Amino acid sequence: MTDPLVRVDGLEKYYYENDTLLDRLTGAEPEAVRAVDGVSFEVREGETLGVVGESGCGKSTLAETLMRLREPTGGSVTFDGDPVYDLSGDDLDAFRRRAQVMFQDPFSSLDPRMTAGEIITEPLAIHDVGTVAERRERAETLLEEVGLSADQIDRYPHEFSGGQRQRIGFARALAIDPEFIVLDEPVSALDVSVQAQVLNLLADMQAERDLTYLFIAHDLSVVRHISDRVAVMYLGEVVEIGPTEEIFESPQHPYTKALLESVPRADTDERDRVVETIRGDVPSPRNPPSGCSFRTRCPELIQPPGLDVPQATFREISDFRTRIENGDIDVDLRWEQVGDANREDRAAFVDSLREEAFDEPLPDADEETVREAIRALADGDRETAAATLRERYRSPCEAVEPALPAGDHPDACLLNEQPDDVEAAREEWEAEHDASGVGTPSQ
Amino acid sequence: MTDLLRVRDLSTRFFTEEGQINAVEGVSFTVEAGSVLGVVGESGSGKSVTGLSLIDLVESPGEITSGEIWYNNADLAERVESDRPEAVDGDFVDLRRLSEAERRSLRGSAFSMIFQDPMSSFNPSITVGEQIAEAAEVQRRASANPRSTRSRTQGYGLGRMLLDGVLPDRSYTSEESWDRAVELLERVGIPDPAERAEEYPHQFSGGMLQRAMIAQALAGDPDLLVADEPTTALDVTIQAQILDLLADLQETMEMSVVLITHNLGVIARVADRVSVMYAGEVVERGTLDDVFDDPVHPYTKGLLGSVPDIDRPGERLEPIAGNVPDLVDANMPDRCYFADRCPKAMTDCLTRPPEYEVSGNHRARCVLAEREYSEADAVSDARLSGPTDGGAGAASDGSSAPDGEVSDD
Repeated sequence: MTDPLVRVDGLEKYYYENDTLLDRLTGAEPEAVRAVDGVSFEVREGETLGVVGESGCGKSTLAETLMRLREPTGGSVTFDGDPVYDLSGDDLDAFRRRAQVMFQDPFSSLDPRMTAGEIITEPLAIHDVGTVAERRERAETLLEEVGLSADQIDRYPHEFSGGQRQRIGFARALAIDPEFIVLDEPVSALDVSVQAQVLNLLADMQAERDLTYLFIAHDLSVVRHISDRVAVMYLGEVVEIGPTEEIFESPQHPYTKALLESVPRADTDERDRVVETIRGDVPSPRNPPSGCSFRTRCPELIQPPGLDVPQATFREISDFRTRIENGDIDVDLRWEQVGDANREDRAAFVDSLREEAFDEPLPDADEETVREAIRALADGDRETAAATLRERYRSPCEAVEPALPAGDHPDACLLNEQPDDVEAAREEWEAEHDASGVGTPSQ
Repeated sequence: MTDLLRVRDLSTRFFTEEGQINAVEGVSFTVEAGSVLGVVGESGSGKSVTGLSLIDLVESPGEITSGEIWYNNADLAERVESDRPEAVDGDFVDLRRLSEAERRSLRGSAFSMIFQDPMSSFNPSITVGEQIAEAAEVQRRASANPRSTRSRTQGYGLGRMLLDGVLPDRSYTSEESWDRAVELLERVGIPDPAERAEEYPHQFSGGMLQRAMIAQALAGDPDLLVADEPTTALDVTIQAQILDLLADLQETMEMSVVLITHNLGVIARVADRVSVMYAGEVVERGTLDDVFDDPVHPYTKGLLGSVPDIDRPGERLEPIAGNVPDLVDANMPDRCYFADRCPKAMTDCLTRPPEYEVSGNHRARCVLAEREYSEADAVSDARLSGPTDGGAGAASDGSSAPDGEVSDD
């Protein structure tokens, strides 16, 4: 039970933009989209490892890369001791027989011109298992096993409903008698009543055939229902992984906490439940934030040594800084709104932006720093404005990249236990930060 | 609480090549002023068409074939009374009996709608600000000239197109509407609204675009917002933001909201009252507590039992067997539509059940509201295998194929 069947180590999959021949000739720098950015975990034999995360966090790319449907940019995957990316010939065939995948979309994952029987027997035909008659018999058995009837074998996909199509997709994955199945959002396209049928089927088959699942989904209640362990992904990285009970009962990473809190419960007490929604959107994987990738939305952002303002205030200041750094604030437009064409009344400009950006009261020293930054902005000097704020409000979260420590339930957050090298980096950064005198109000 | 909308016996049908589809079948419900009505059901249950029917956006081959939609608006009632006395009852006006022009003038100013997929609901080649300003401009022109409904569509013709070629700067929207658009964007929580208004839809994230669509819907200051799966395409953290926003807007603007969704959690989070739809009918309706804590209809119970609970994971889910029927008129049996999937089907269910009153405003279209289930009256699967069953394999486990597409011998 505890032997890892699949071990993923530092897996990376980058997609490159601006990487055509023409771009190379003109010398354009290819831009990396870091879909999967250094992911490590194990899947133990006989268990279900759930992978959750929001769209664009790299769950599906992870599945495809892990199955070697895409070549990785870096890292390795071992399946039952064999390095998956070094396999070739018969060994690769053997891997493909032992590991299967079931896809999300019941409408596009089945060939509309093949009958259910042809779809299910295709893996058998590819791997040259049995005679035609035997394959058909196997397909009939499988159809019965997944809750369809054997006389539906000659029907085409369009004659089935969504739930039934997912059953066919599952039968296809089972056909070759695999040990390991990657389930990529198998129920997210289905209605709840049908979803429950398919979830029960997946659980039954696992018990019956000792299957190991990697279950990818964005629906947390479904993941909790089916998984033994859960990995939470954010922006191409695993931020927390552990036994299902622990992840859901005592989440450690602020992202996991926020994710769990965001799920609306189908319960009459739901209206009174206070939900601290996290702000903003997932950043682009083209240009992920430095340090901790969740820091741009994190409700528990760590303040630099020496600074102690309320968390909400610090969050607002950090957001304001991000807006300046990203150039989201259009200075010309702002002057127009102030109604001062000659740009003389700097105080009015400062007041207007200060009021708009902050709901929380600012302590005096911070009020001064913020206004100083806005004054620089009013003069059109974005660099200075950003630098003024950066100097005082730079968080360790943006300088030090957290990592997953060893253990049963690790998480990648500086607030919690971190590997020695991360702790060392943080201490070094904080010492440096203190020495430079930052943290005292700048004048 | 006063009622804003009383819907009586509304039916919408689609006349397709495969036959007549009864998408909405004799639906009745009430929307109270300043409250949220949640409409929940699976795909194909008719909830979206109900929403479209409310604001008269059903397109051919669809048609509202019968029913009344009474809208509480004293001003409108007074204005209409002289021309169409039959359409007025006190302060209420039956929208179905108004003229096309009058109905059109209510769209945007009285009723507004937001859709599931913000990416495909915006025009990708026009800035977000311009599209919102356009909605504001339509309302502005209409209020400047209430008699004329023509002014609303002026400027969209061949002449305009040719003129645009010569003078591309000539804009339909006024500066006033643009300012209103920026104001609306700020209201729905978009940072740097003046800057973002100049951006195109592809520069917005999904959550931001959904906010922009809400801003557009608010342009006419509507009494009722119909939100059709507004968070389904969004991630949970963004969904939580949008639900907060909707609740906040509903409260501050004293709007009513009809929230259409398949997600029971979303309903529980924002709805005051709930209508559960199945096969085009409202099978159960009542307050949130009535429907969630004290469900009568086996379909409501099944729906609630199918959702894995994130806080209390159970060992096994209890799904509803079978599939949603396809609503083709010829295939719909003359009995309770849910009977073939119902674990408590009885001989009583072989006739179409009326809507029974459970208590107060809690109604259910199920005989169990009146009597207890008894084994003695249980009806066999064979008697239920009317035209809705695909034929082979019985309908016990989702194994019956969708109807009308399969003929088995």
